[in-house]
This record gives sequence, C-alpha cells and structure tokens, in this order.
Amino acid sequence: MKKLALLGSALLLSLTTAFAAPVEVSLAYPVAVDAPITALLKGWAQDFMAKNPDVKVTLVFAGGYPDVKTAVQTALQGGAKAPTLAVMLATDVYDLVNAKYVDNLDDLVAKAPGGAAFVKDFLPAYMGNSTYKGKLWSLPFQRSAVVLYYNADLLAESKIAPPKTWDELGKAAQALTVDGGKTRWGIEIPTENPYWTFQPLAIGGGKNVFTDDVTVNFNAPEVVDAVQFYNDLSKKYQGTPAGVQVAWGSSTQNFAAGKTAMIVHTTGSLAGILKTAKFKVGVSAVPGKKAGSWASVTGGGNLYLTAGHSAEERQAAFAFAQFLLDPSRVATFSAATGYIPNRTAATATPEYKAWLEKVPQAADAVKALASAGPELATQNVNGVRSLFNKYLQSAFNGAQSPKDALDAAQRDADKALADFK
Amino acid sequence: MGAPRKTKLLPYLLVAPTLLFVLVFTLLPLGEALVGSLFKQRLNIPKFQDPVFFGLGNFADLFGDPDFLQVLANTGLYVVLFVPLSLAAALGLALLVEEKLRGIAWFRLALFHPTVLPLVSAATVWMFFFTPEYGLWNQALHLLGYSGPQNWTGNPALALGSLVLVAFWKNVGFFMLFFLAGLQNLDRSALEAARLDGAGGFRMLRTIVLPLIRRQTVFVTSIAFIGAFQTVDHVFVLTQGGPSGSSSLLLFHLWQVRFERLNVGQGDAVTVLLVAVLLAFTVTNFFWGEHREK
Amino acid sequence: MKSRLATALRFSALLVLSVLMALPLVWAFLAALRPPEVPFAAGNVFFGGYLSFENYQKALSLAPFAQYYWNTFCQVGAILVVQIGTASLAAFAFARYRFPGDKVLFTIILLQMMIPSAALLVPNFSTIRFLGLYDTVAGIALPFFGSAFGTFLLRQTFLAVPRDLVDAAAMDGCRWDQELRHLFLPSAQASVAAFALSSLSWHWNDFLWPLVITQSETARPLTAGLVRFTQMGEIGAQWGLLSAATMIVTLPLFVVFLIFQKPFVRGYLSSGIK
Repeated sequence: MKKLALLGSALLLSLTTAFAAPVEVSLAYPVAVDAPITALLKGWAQDFMAKNPDVKVTLVFAGGYPDVKTAVQTALQGGAKAPTLAVMLATDVYDLVNAKYVDNLDDLVAKAPGGAAFVKDFLPAYMGNSTYKGKLWSLPFQRSAVVLYYNADLLAESKIAPPKTWDELGKAAQALTVDGGKTRWGIEIPTENPYWTFQPLAIGGGKNVFTDDVTVNFNAPEVVDAVQFYNDLSKKYQGTPAGVQVAWGSSTQNFAAGKTAMIVHTTGSLAGILKTAKFKVGVSAVPGKKAGSWASVTGGGNLYLTAGHSAEERQAAFAFAQFLLDPSRVATFSAATGYIPNRTAATATPEYKAWLEKVPQAADAVKALASAGPELATQNVNGVRSLFNKYLQSAFNGAQSPKDALDAAQRDADKALADFK
Repeated sequence: MGAPRKTKLLPYLLVAPTLLFVLVFTLLPLGEALVGSLFKQRLNIPKFQDPVFFGLGNFADLFGDPDFLQVLANTGLYVVLFVPLSLAAALGLALLVEEKLRGIAWFRLALFHPTVLPLVSAATVWMFFFTPEYGLWNQALHLLGYSGPQNWTGNPALALGSLVLVAFWKNVGFFMLFFLAGLQNLDRSALEAARLDGAGGFRMLRTIVLPLIRRQTVFVTSIAFIGAFQTVDHVFVLTQGGPSGSSSLLLFHLWQVRFERLNVGQGDAVTVLLVAVLLAFTVTNFFWGEHREK
Repeated sequence: MKSRLATALRFSALLVLSVLMALPLVWAFLAALRPPEVPFAAGNVFFGGYLSFENYQKALSLAPFAQYYWNTFCQVGAILVVQIGTASLAAFAFARYRFPGDKVLFTIILLQMMIPSAALLVPNFSTIRFLGLYDTVAGIALPFFGSAFGTFLLRQTFLAVPRDLVDAAAMDGCRWDQELRHLFLPSAQASVAAFALSSLSWHWNDFLWPLVITQSETARPLTAGLVRFTQMGEIGAQWGLLSAATMIVTLPLFVVFLIFQKPFVRGYLSSGIK
C-alpha cells in the first residue's frame, strides 16, 4: 500500500513539474440559498484568475457554517487537504486555533503589499475575534449585528415614537399587539437558539454575558434582569408570545407580513426584509434599560486560512482574500446582502454611497454597530453556548426562575471551562 | 487431488468480499472507537491533544452528566413512541390497501411517496408546518378545536413528539409495503373463514393474521428499530436537540460531542454505548426470529 | 350490501388518509410556484396570488441538479449491484456449506447492521482518503459494498430451499455457481426486491457521509446538494425556493414510480418475502 502511494506521489510530482500546474486555492463558503452571493463570488473568482493566471480558484459551496467546519475538520483529521480558505464563525476562533485547524496570518500580512494598512482598516468591533494569543488568525468577512427592526408606518399611525428604553419597548409592544397576538404581536425575539438575540438585552441591561475566553457572567444580576425583562415582555406587557415560541426563520416573514410590529434580528436579513415588506422599515440598535443606552451584538463569519498548505498556496490564498476584501467589493457585497461593511475604506466607495441612497436603513444598521458588544466566544464554545441556550430556554419557559436557571448555567459553564484555565 | 481442497476453501472465498468490506469499514473503526473510549483526548485543549489513558473515565463522565441521562431518556422515549406507532399504523394501512379497489395505485402512491423524499427535505417541509401562527399544522389543529402551544418544536413537551411525527410520516408507507407483501401471501381462505366465523376484527388480526406474517413483522421491526437509532437528520433541521435538550437523541449527541465539542474520547464512548444497545436488540430479535423459525 | 358499504368505508378512509399524507408535498408543490415577493405570513399559505416560476429558475441557477442526479444514480446503482453480488455469494456460503468458523464469521458480518455509519465518519474518511477516493462517487459508495443486511436476508431465504433439491443438483454434478444461479437465486427474487428497496432508500437518503467525503459538485449527490437549500444560516427561511429545490429532486422520481409501480408492486407483492 505504501509503495503504491509512493509511486503515486512520484508520478504526481513528475506531472506537476512537467506542466508547472497553477497554484490551487479553494474557498469553502456557507451559502444559504442566496443567489446574489454565489453569483458575486463566482464572478470575482473569474476576475481574480484573469489577473493571476498562475492561480486556480475553486469555490466550494456548503450549506451552512457547521458544514464548512465539518468539511475542514474531517479533511484535516483524515490527513487530507482542507479547502485553503474557509468562511467559518468568528466565534469559533479558540477551538479552531487550539485544534490546529487554522493557520496564522501574521507573516502573510507582513509580506503582502499594503498588508498592515489592510488589516488596520477593519472595524475594531469586528476584529475582536480575529486575534488570539497575540496573533492574527482570521479576517472579518460577512459580519452582521443584531438590531431592532420596526414597522415605522405602523408606529407613526399609532403615534408611538421608536422605543428608546426597555420600558418604552415593552409599552410599545403592548400597544401594538392586537387580539392577543392572533392578529399581530408587538415584538418577536427568536428563541430557538436564543443566546445571540438575547445578548443585546444583557448588554443593554449593563453587562455582556461573558468577559473573556474563560470567563462568563451568566448569573450576573444584570443578566438575570435581562431574562426577567424578556419574560416581562409576555407576562407584564403581553406584547410577545410567552416562552420559547418564536422561530428564527419565520420571524422575518411575520414582520414583513405585518403579523408582528417589531423583531430583533440580524442585519443579514435586511435585504430580504426590504424586498418583501410593503411598509417603511425602521432599524435601530436594541434599546437598553436606561435612557440613552443602546445595545447590539456582532455576529457572522470570518475568513480563515486552514492549516497544512504550502508557502505558495498560502500566499495565493491571502492574495485572493485581499482581493475579495477590496473596499469596492466589500461595499458591493454589503449592498447585495445587507451585511454591514467590515472595513472603513468601504464606506468611502461610490458603491456604498449608492447603497445608502437606495437603502437609508443601512446607515442605521451601521450606526447600531457603535453600541455592539462581542458575540459569546469562549473556549469550548459549542459546549458553553448550548448549555447557556438550554438554561435560557428553561427560564423563558418558566421551568426555572431566571435566577435559578442562570445560577445553574454559571455553575455548568465554569465546569465546562475548568480545563482551559 | 485438488478438488476436495477447493471445496473446503470455497465457502471462505465466497464470504471473503463481504467480510473484507465489513472488516475495513466497520470492525476496524469500531475497534478504534473501543480503544479510543478508554483514552482522554480533546482536540480543543492543547494539553489533551494527544490521547492519555483514562480507564473508564469517559463512561463515568457520561453517566455523571445529567444532559447525557436526558439524551438516553429521550432516545428511549423516541424509540418507544416511533416503533410501535409506525408499525401499527403501517399494518393498518396495509390491511386497507391490500384488496383491490378503484384508484388503489394512487392511494398506495400517496401513502408511500414520503419514502422517496430525503429526510432532510422532509424535515424542512415540516418545519414550515410547525411554524407558529400560519403553519398548516397549527391551523389544522385549530380547526379541530386545539388551543394548546403553537410552536411544537420550541415546546419542551412537544419537541420530541414532533420529531416522531416527521419520522412517522416519512416511514409509515415504507413499512406498509413490507406488511403488504406478507398479507398478499396469506392463504385467503383462512382469512375468509375467520371473517365468516364472526371472529372480531382485532381477534382475527391477533390470532390469525399476525402469526402468519411474523417473519415480516420481525423484519420490519428490525428496520424500524435500527433506523430509529441511526437517523438524526430531522433533529438537525427541526430542533437542534432543543429546547433545553428535550429532543436530543443519542446519535445527535454523538455528533455534538465529537464534532462540535471535539471531545474524541467521549465521542468514542458514546459510539460504544450506541453499538452495545443495538447489539443487544439485534441479537435478541435475531434469536427470537431464528428460534420461532423452527 | 354489507360488502358494498365496507368498500365505501374503506375508500373514504383511504381518501382521507391519503390526502393527509400527501398534504406536505402538495403544499411544497404549490409553495414552489408562489412568487417570492409574497410572504407566507400574509394570509393564504397555499396560493400567493399568481403563479411564478421564479423559485424554480433561481433554484436551477444555484445548483447543478443534472450533475447531482447523475452522481446519485451512479452511487446508489453501484452500491446496489455490488451489494447484491457480494451478499448473495456470502449468503450462499452460509446457507449451503458448514465450515469451521462459519458461526463466528456470520456474527462478525452481522455486527455491521448495528453500527451507525455516522459514528464511524472519521476513521472511514481516513481510509477513503488513503485509497485516493476522496471527493469521488466511488468514495461515497465503497464503504457500503459489503452488506450484512443483504447477507442476512438472503441467507434466510436460501435456507428455505429444500435440501433434496440441493442434493439432487449436487448429484447431477452442478457446479456451485450453477446451483446459485439456477436454484438459489430464482427462489429469492422477492428477498432481493425487498433488499433492493431498503438499500436504495437508505443510500438515496444518506447525507452526512456524502457531505463529508465530497467537496466538489462533480461528486456530490442530491441530498448533499439539497442541504444548501435547507440550511438557512442567518437569513430567514425561503420556503418557496426550498420547495422548488425539493420538487426538482422528487418530481422525476414520482414519474419513475408511477411508470414502474405496476410491474414493481405486482412483482414484489406476488411472491412476498419468505
């Protein structure tokens, strides 16, 4: 068997030297049925190859973030080459680095023309998950934030100002609910995978749910308070369905169809909502507890360089990454999807200005980012996240009191993180 | 002189291809899992990157973890609900479509067609059905006077049930086909005689029909049982094991431990347990079937 | 009189049940024809005002379905053909001969039935890669070339072949392959059909393994391709598009089923599994 493999590789080697095969770069991208993105990426890959005939770019479209991660993981563990570049969740950085699935980028940045300035230009809010142990591991790619969408026409009709505090949010939700939610709910906050859309409430209450990669604040009084507020939205204000009711996928449709007056959702849904909604859509950060405090949370995927590639492949991959993240392409990408531009330079491009003119809400989404805290990212992130979800849901469903549930969450999370301290 | 030797070797040669594939793609990896379950290896913790001997520690960790105990309970409940319900319904449907009738081909197609739908897409279509407010499932239940919780996949009491429902829809026509094959083979006079005797429908079913199609029943039970343990696509699509872990099944948990939490040792331990359960069932079922055969 | 009433009852029961069972797919069929701009929450979830093929156009532009079909066809076809070959050889050996270690070997093979292939994703991935079959249809199919289930099922059937017939054939000087082809296999048609059905449906449905072992469109089967439509990522569900993709995957199969169902069902049912 070994001899055969040796023979094979010898053959392969002679082939490559004979034809001077181009450097192959592949990009694994989690496409969730969005035609504009695939079309854009395909076009850009063509453009890049036209400019760099010695590089061959292949695009691998997988279903979602977990699929991309699994593909990378199995490839590397099975001893194969993973796709050179992969768009994976920004919050996966600790696991990816510790398991040696991804490669450090610092040397490439240093070598690339204009590399340092290129990296410096990314929005600081989005660079939080890119460095670990003082090194650079990923570049922000399709980044989003959680915002409040509201039906501006409906609020104006009902003479309700866009809410600025928790209390105003609750009262608005109450006032906008019709027929106990059968006709319309005041607000819907998705709860099937609740940690992310819950985070703006915690941040708006005064404290994010975690501090660093090994410290979570699940049972901080501010966080307990935020869970209480979520429960109040249904109990006290009767403005949202009680418990774990709101599905991620259908809340945007409910909103666009006027079956709910407000939703807390990702900026990534902006384009889709605007396409279907027949009313004026308002966008703002999520109101905080006190007047003047606003909250949001970052999200989305970063571009990683996977481990185990040759110097030429790494360099070509980085060049392709730089090409994709060129300011005008970033702006075009944002306009097509609603993802917030991840670079300052992109906001100066004509593409971005044209988008703002067409979609003024985009500016509000960008503004919301100023009050955004980082998305829950810890060591062992999948374990910590799922236990947090579990206790959040049991608090929402009333199986446990907010305090009991979050105490238990804190205890379990500390246990799950003990090995990493 | 060569002939007798050849005959002696022959059975081994005939078995060899199957054995080779089973060895390479099942037994070898299973052996690896068995050994791996005795080691602590967690890919996302630098100090545990390489396996360290852990004895039965992975198993102790698992059984000390309330989440895992919940997963076991969920899986048990899922199997206990899914297998009898879908088999009983499949038998009932087989009895209904067994005789000739106008449009019988269309009825069979309607009952059988979900089988050809990949479970992933079946689950996705159902996801729409379960959507609160305007999902068809809720609208239908409303018509029937239901006023309970709206979001089935988000309700801890109903999430597991909705998984059973989807699996039921997907598989009942498939199981039906096997029962149908058995029924068509029966001696019609026995059935008719039983009917004329005025034997109650259920009694007739129990005393005459069931024993005669025992072989099919054993066969379909095995498929249903093993399938119940081995398919989790609908968990991925519909509930992700939530809410609060109330719909997590063993294989889905294995996926989470191994691929999301990168805990190789514990993943191997779950594999070993999963195989042990299936082994116990299959051996029992097999011997029961073999025994009664004679 | 009574029997006519019974028939009418049976007919109406079947009608209700069939409609219930068919509802999800009927809905998907209609949802696929819904214009994407009309949200489902707006009211009627069956009809969106007018019919539109936009979802189909979009779905077809997103994924090479013809290629997926071909890949799936090759994959399940190769698995089925090889499985029937290997399984009937092994089943014949176990049913026809007594040889030292036969019980042990049989038990070893049976083990395969109990082990979910998803549990063995990583080691099997390494093996396939070592064989140089990563990202090929052959790589998807290879691990399933040996089938414990098929061996088990066929052995059961072969055991029912009367001993006298077998002895007579041996006396006549039949070679083993003649015995298998002319005596054993003809008696096992129904079992082979039952096995084929379950093998086809199982591998047709499998998605985790193909997803992991392939990465390019030239090797991906339908399920792995369809996943791109079912995952919603950050964006909300696009039921219309998803339904269109589902219909593209299922409709041709229905046509095939409708064409072949009579001979298939009759052939399959006439003998039953013994």
